[in-house]
Amino acid sequence: MNETVHIDNETLVAYLYDEVDREERGRVEQHLQQCGTCGGQFAALADVRTALATWTPPGVDLGFTMVQPSASPAVAAVPAAAPWWNTVPVWAQAMAAILVLAVSAGVANIQVRSSADGFDVTTGWMSPVAPTVAASADATGADDWKVALTALESNLRNELRLSRNAAPVAPVAARSTNDEAILRRVQELLTASEGRQQRELALRLTQHQRDLDIQRRADLVRLEQGFGQFEGRTVAEQARQRQMLNYVIRASGKPQQ
Amino acid sequence: MAGQFCDRFRMVTTDEELVAKSMAGDAESFNQLVIRWERPIYALAYRVLGRDEDARDVAQETFLRAFRALPGFKGQAKFSSWLYRIALNLCRDWIRRKKRTPVVDMPEGVDISELAVDSGPVESIEDLVSRQEMSRIVAQGMTRLPEEQRTAIVLKEYHGLTFQEIADLQGCPLSTVKTRLYQGLSVLRKHLESHGMTSLYNGRPS
Repeated sequence: MNETVHIDNETLVAYLYDEVDREERGRVEQHLQQCGTCGGQFAALADVRTALATWTPPGVDLGFTMVQPSASPAVAAVPAAAPWWNTVPVWAQAMAAILVLAVSAGVANIQVRSSADGFDVTTGWMSPVAPTVAASADATGADDWKVALTALESNLRNELRLSRNAAPVAPVAARSTNDEAILRRVQELLTASEGRQQRELALRLTQHQRDLDIQRRADLVRLEQGFGQFEGRTVAEQARQRQMLNYVIRASGKPQQ
Repeated sequence: MAGQFCDRFRMVTTDEELVAKSMAGDAESFNQLVIRWERPIYALAYRVLGRDEDARDVAQETFLRAFRALPGFKGQAKFSSWLYRIALNLCRDWIRRKKRTPVVDMPEGVDISELAVDSGPVESIEDLVSRQEMSRIVAQGMTRLPEEQRTAIVLKEYHGLTFQEIADLQGCPLSTVKTRLYQGLSVLRKHLESHGMTSLYNGRPS
């Protein structure tokens, strides 16, 4: 039709990459056959595309892998449903813990007694151990401890009354025999204790002496090594100085020769 | 049999299915996406930046960002377009940060064997050498283009994106993409002619 109207650049590129509809393609093809200018331009662009096809990136080995630490959350940070215990406040959790502890202690019937041997903990609903003071008590049932206390009180009162009413000599005599035995026993214990302490002291002194001796020897060895190194260094230094002196002598003597 | 069927089935698993599995916490599915797309993303970065090391870094960073941003991926675009967008943004940042134009560090050694595979058995050594030389000059010419033109050509020529997809990625009108392509190809044409390469392709005088 009119050959002076050329194909615009955008249409030419669209045709080059085959992104034109059928109608436009037909129109462009027809024009390219008739117009040398547009035909030449299209051919040149097609050649550039051919040249571009030769450019390939290096065939490197990439091998990217997403390594997920086991401790981290899942890939997608989709928030997981929080456990029900996380919704309870901390103070409520603490209270619940105390309550559970108390109830379990009650169910287990924990009993704690202190004695000369230390603490004694018993659990369960076993029959309670009869206390020593209850040896004289012959009562049974839930009021055992009351009966035992009453018996103990009466025994004590009787002893006090007897001691007040009895003749002073007899008790003294009796007490003296008892005291002598106790004194003897105490003296024996004291003697044994002193002997043990002396032995321990002697043992400790011996150990200290041995430790001191070992330390002294180690220090001596270290001192000797130190002196040895110092001497070695001194000898080496002397040798070096002597070499330097010889060199200086040689160097200074050369011009004269 | 069942294994072959599973393998075949796995091969046709779409990106969207793998994305959905990844979002549900399946890291292996995301690795499948990485395997599928690492080469195109690297190639894109390499052709835009022109350096192997930079392209590797950008490709790696692309997948790292995609991995982190996966919960925000709503599927409004194709996964590949989303990856391309991340990679191109990184490339742009890279060029801006380094304040340098791309250089060509490609040629030695790599291309001959690859080109031989691509070109078929009938191509002679002379043709291979010519193609390698052509490849080097093309890469050199690409570095001279403005970044927008270069990216448009790379996306169209090597990744087969439509004009509309390129326009979406570059955030410009459709006509601008076509103009960029035309201008870029024209500059390349002159570059090739200046290196006497007009007779090496198609055997047609320009």
